[in-house]
Amino acid sequence: MRISVTLIAFFLLLLSCSKEGGEESYIPIPETIPVKVTYDPTPLAFDIPSNFPELTYDINSNPPTEAGFALGKRLFYEGKLSSTGVISCGECHRQEFAFTHHTHIVSHGVDGALGTRNSPPTQNLAFMKEFNWDGAAALLDMQPIIPITAPVEMNETFASILKKLKNDPVYPDLFAKAFKNGAIDTENMLKALSQFMLLMISADSKYDKYIRNEGGVTLNEQEKAGHALFNAKCATCHSGELFTNQTYKNNGLPIDPEYNDMGRAAVSGKTEDNQKFKVPSLRNIELTLPYMHDGRFGTLEEVLDHYSSGVVDSPSLDPLLKQEDGTLGIPLTASEKTELLAFLKTLTDNDFALDKRFSEF
Amino acid sequence: MHLIKRKYKNLLVIGLLALTTATCKKNDDGDDSLQVITNEGMAIDGALTLTFDNVVGDKDLVLTDQTYMNKTGEEYGINEFKYIISSIALSQSDGTVFTYPVADSYFVIDEKENTSLQLNLTGIPAGRYESLQFGFGVDQSNYPIEQGTLNFVPTAEEKGMLWAWAAGYKFLKMEGDFKTSGAETSEPFTYHVGSLSDTLDNFKLISLSLSSETTSNETATNTINITTDVAQIFDAVNTMSLKVKPDVQIDPENSPKIAENVSQMFKIKK
Repeated sequence: MRISVTLIAFFLLLLSCSKEGGEESYIPIPETIPVKVTYDPTPLAFDIPSNFPELTYDINSNPPTEAGFALGKRLFYEGKLSSTGVISCGECHRQEFAFTHHTHIVSHGVDGALGTRNSPPTQNLAFMKEFNWDGAAALLDMQPIIPITAPVEMNETFASILKKLKNDPVYPDLFAKAFKNGAIDTENMLKALSQFMLLMISADSKYDKYIRNEGGVTLNEQEKAGHALFNAKCATCHSGELFTNQTYKNNGLPIDPEYNDMGRAAVSGKTEDNQKFKVPSLRNIELTLPYMHDGRFGTLEEVLDHYSSGVVDSPSLDPLLKQEDGTLGIPLTASEKTELLAFLKTLTDNDFALDKRFSEF
Repeated sequence: MHLIKRKYKNLLVIGLLALTTATCKKNDDGDDSLQVITNEGMAIDGALTLTFDNVVGDKDLVLTDQTYMNKTGEEYGINEFKYIISSIALSQSDGTVFTYPVADSYFVIDEKENTSLQLNLTGIPAGRYESLQFGFGVDQSNYPIEQGTLNFVPTAEEKGMLWAWAAGYKFLKMEGDFKTSGAETSEPFTYHVGSLSDTLDNFKLISLSLSSETTSNETATNTINITTDVAQIFDAVNTMSLKVKPDVQIDPENSPKIAENVSQMFKIKK
């Protein structure tokens, strides 16, 4: 900006001089003044919440910068990443629902194509070991390849995207600012997307403030009872501050013949992994309906009902869902369910859902 | 960039000097290791061409129209044969290793496309190289996102070397048909071998000795010819039966076996 102002001033100066010299030496002001965009390495603060585990992402391999984050954000909301030009990442990962596709049971892609799974929230990804319901991506930087190339999602090729970005009036400058080599290539594109997603940390729920002793926030009696119940009955899988142990489990859902989704087995190639899906984080669970890998449950009440009375047996059913007396599921009374729900709602982080840094507009 | 060029220039001078000595020495001890020399007048050091000749045993590989026999006695034909080569390096007898810029060393060898069978490498410092190393696949353990691992995505995608539903590369894509002895009709088979997520790592480093290669050192060679023997994929270390397993893709048991066989399929052409 400063450069352009200087340039304009300089041209104005030239103009005023030349006017005095006669009409022949008149120099018109160019319509666009070329501003040379240079790499801007201004780093972005990246703070790990005190109650969170270690990062899984190698932050030194791709340290977030202001310019990288800005590029990543623009790419996240860029329809050009899809074949039809209208489906962006943000289409199925909407901020107000903790970056999920609210009310959409399965993801919706180009030309109304339907996926087979419910879009998971893009939150706290810097702490995740693997991505997708089946862990088909081990690196955050590789993860976007899946939705971008999937025919039922964005259905686009990288060669085509790079061409579109190179011909765009804005992106060459954004890439030049965000990366030293300024190249519009797959590496920089995916790194920028990662930088944006790495910053998407949700850690300011009522629960977090209570755990971190912030601002005198405390849980009420019902929430506290729910917390104790949660620790006793749910926290083996939904463990730690991410509320997931990041393993793959069969939680006893009957197979939906429409999808016949075998989950983790598709990645591991092992039949013992049939019907296993990644234990999801429960952060912002109130906002991320519908639930389960295929979005079959619309409410948290239905989810709890499933665990208390809907679990079906199969060879890969998680042993924790089989009681010693042979009954399936997790015994829960009606009042216990109410308490659990109260606790689960303390995991809602409205600051995250409304954070301007991540919003499209 | 300037620094690199200067380094190369120095190497060129040293290399040419060494070469003169080497050429003389060769006449004495009959050393027949590969030499790479620079073309006079080039700003940087020499070019090296790697050629890949895909064969099945002692026969040339002919896609679709030709059938072959594996150790299990299954007759097979191949419609598609592609593999990824990466991480190229050259070693000299004194232990010096020249690593080709990793980011520029990813290639898809595709039997269907003649131009893909020849890799033209440039900027190879003058030297007497004893062995050639390259990777089968993409080494994501050492280069998760750097060094071109991600920039290879568009090429791999165009060549069908990306998994459709997962984030990773197919290192080998081999598809065709087979018939067990006495069978009337043939059945399709699919071998897609790669690394996947954290569960499978099928990357292999291949090292080929160049010292037995007979090249005339009076006229220094700058081509290394490699034969890739498809038969080894079925027969090398692990005997693979197409009848038993015609479809190997995400297969924690069979894909590492195939990868192990693949690591035996490359030879320097005599």
